[in-house]
Amino acid sequence: MKATRFTLEAVDWEPWLAPVTVESATPAQRAALEASPQANSAYFRTLANDVDSLSERSPLFHAVMYVPRGLKRAERELATVVTSIINGCIYCSSVHARRFVELTKQPEIIRALYETGLDTPLEPRLRAIVDYAARLTREPATMTAADLAPLRAVGMDDLEIHDLTNAVAMFANANRLMQTLGEPIPPDDSTPSAA
Amino acid sequence: MPAAPPDLLESVIGVAPDSALSRLRALRPDIVRHTQGSHDVLLSPADPGGLSLPERALIAARVAEQSHHAALASHYRALLAERGDPPPDKRLETILQHVERVTMAPRTAHPAHIEALRAVGLTARDIVALTQIVAFVSYQVRAAVGLALLTEGQAA
Repeated sequence: MKATRFTLEAVDWEPWLAPVTVESATPAQRAALEASPQANSAYFRTLANDVDSLSERSPLFHAVMYVPRGLKRAERELATVVTSIINGCIYCSSVHARRFVELTKQPEIIRALYETGLDTPLEPRLRAIVDYAARLTREPATMTAADLAPLRAVGMDDLEIHDLTNAVAMFANANRLMQTLGEPIPPDDSTPSAA
Repeated sequence: MPAAPPDLLESVIGVAPDSALSRLRALRPDIVRHTQGSHDVLLSPADPGGLSLPERALIAARVAEQSHHAALASHYRALLAERGDPPPDKRLETILQHVERVTMAPRTAHPAHIEALRAVGLTARDIVALTQIVAFVSYQVRAAVGLALLTEGQAA
């Protein structure tokens, strides 16, 4: 059954197209999968059906989310959770909410976003990140330089704004792939959730 | 080796070489390289498989238009003009309906939509490529908007 609620638990994902299998993968597909975050996941094996685009996307994703300096990793993760909530991507949101919590030990921030909504009270820097991510996700064409003012006011420099922009943009991408090539599956109810 | 291709994102925003924004982007060389690389393999693949080059250009143009990004829309319309319009038939109609759904309302997607694409002749590879084009242009629009805001900030 399709998962329908945002969660901090691990969610599975089931493709609507046959994924490439380890046995059937060409050398190019194998190389593209090895450069992806999880070579064995059904999601990346589904994307491997079009190997050339996966070969470009995996290093792009890696650079956007993990390149050092600039915007802190936890803040990139938070921005991707906001984008995923707006787009309705339960799987992406679960993965990146858990990364945020691993980095910050602040699950209450995610719970507030899930339960109260994106306008839940937050400290000023996180508020500015959430608002910018929401604007860029929902209505990029109407944005102006005034949308940067709250980010500047909390001390963000150009590199941090650049990184924030790319994290949000990358999840405009990830959410669309994840939600239209398959669906999220809730963790098995009969299994106690892992600690 | 051929000369490095021009950077589409910078030309769309109107960024001068060696401007402050160009130097900022140079701090993230893998983003620059693989953003352009994604564009190139999705819009102009050596082997387009069952999703033709005109169809690819039209899909990208529709995403840019539905996202209200005029400069990217005109880039992809120009690419389509070079390639010629794909035939307006049931297949194209099914493809473009799916493009609009993935662009505007990805949460409404359903396995039946994949079956509809298969029924008009798309393979698994073609369906992934179609989805990657929509997802890529959705990324590109937001990256372009954010970078353009930074250049406005610098001019102010």
